[in-house]
Amino acid sequence: MQTSQWDFAIVEMVHLIALAFLGGSVLVVDLRLLGLILKGESARTIGRDLSRTLLLSLGAMVLSGIALLSEEAGKCFYSPAFRWKMALLAAAILFYFTLHRRALLHTDTGRPNAWSRVAAIVSLMLWLGVGVAGRAIGLL
Amino acid sequence: MLQHLCQILYDSHFGTMLRESDNAFSVVESVHVLSITLLIGTISVLDLRMLGVILRPIAVTRVARGVLPLTWAGFAVSFVSGFLLFWAEAAHMYSNPAFRAKLILLALVGLNPLIFHTTVYRRAHEWEMLHVSPWRARAAAIASLTLWSGVIVAGRAIAYF
Repeated sequence: MQTSQWDFAIVEMVHLIALAFLGGSVLVVDLRLLGLILKGESARTIGRDLSRTLLLSLGAMVLSGIALLSEEAGKCFYSPAFRWKMALLAAAILFYFTLHRRALLHTDTGRPNAWSRVAAIVSLMLWLGVGVAGRAIGLL
Repeated sequence: MLQHLCQILYDSHFGTMLRESDNAFSVVESVHVLSITLLIGTISVLDLRMLGVILRPIAVTRVARGVLPLTWAGFAVSFVSGFLLFWAEAAHMYSNPAFRAKLILLALVGLNPLIFHTTVYRRAHEWEMLHVSPWRARAAAIASLTLWSGVIVAGRAIAYF
């Protein structure tokens, strides 16, 4: 990875394309959980279907992220933004598989209760935080 | 003529301010990336629905009504933030091959829904419940996914020229 700048660029491009898919999946699921879009459609179905695109793109992001890291490991090790990103990523994934999933199953075709709405907002904030911290790695 | 216009933008007070600022350019850049995520992330949900990959039990028109307002919001913000980024670097952008490629891809990716909405989507009520949409809708979905990915690739490449 340390040989060509185009190798790095290509991995960055993969990282960004996967980001678009991940962002879209998270947003659509959480807006459904908030009751803002696709009302009346099963939150369980939406959550299950979009978990495929979400997890696939997350996998692509982690793999391309590791490749990017191998180029800039020294810089990232000392970067507070990178540490924040990893902490937020761990929190986002943990939340996604636990409370967020329960909220989706609980809501199904009905109107979301207050806890489901909170779960959607927490999820959006965590994933957004991962992205913002990620952007900050290149700036700080 | 176009080159001259780019130079005027580049030399303008606002363009220079944005280019030489410590943070403003980075902030606009971040907004640009985030809004592109909104744009492409939401339209890809509709594309994947038409391909029959996800959300099969939900009518295509329902999915479209759910995601398209988000897609348009993403488009509006990425267009404005993208124009600001262009303003700051206009003189360099004029001859940047990746920037030119991105503009061509954007023209194509704009043509795609124009054709789609005036043809096969007009009779969407006939096929909206099909798990896999008719081939013309699938072709539009594949074109959309491919071209938007191309926009990201070209956009990222701009910084490398």
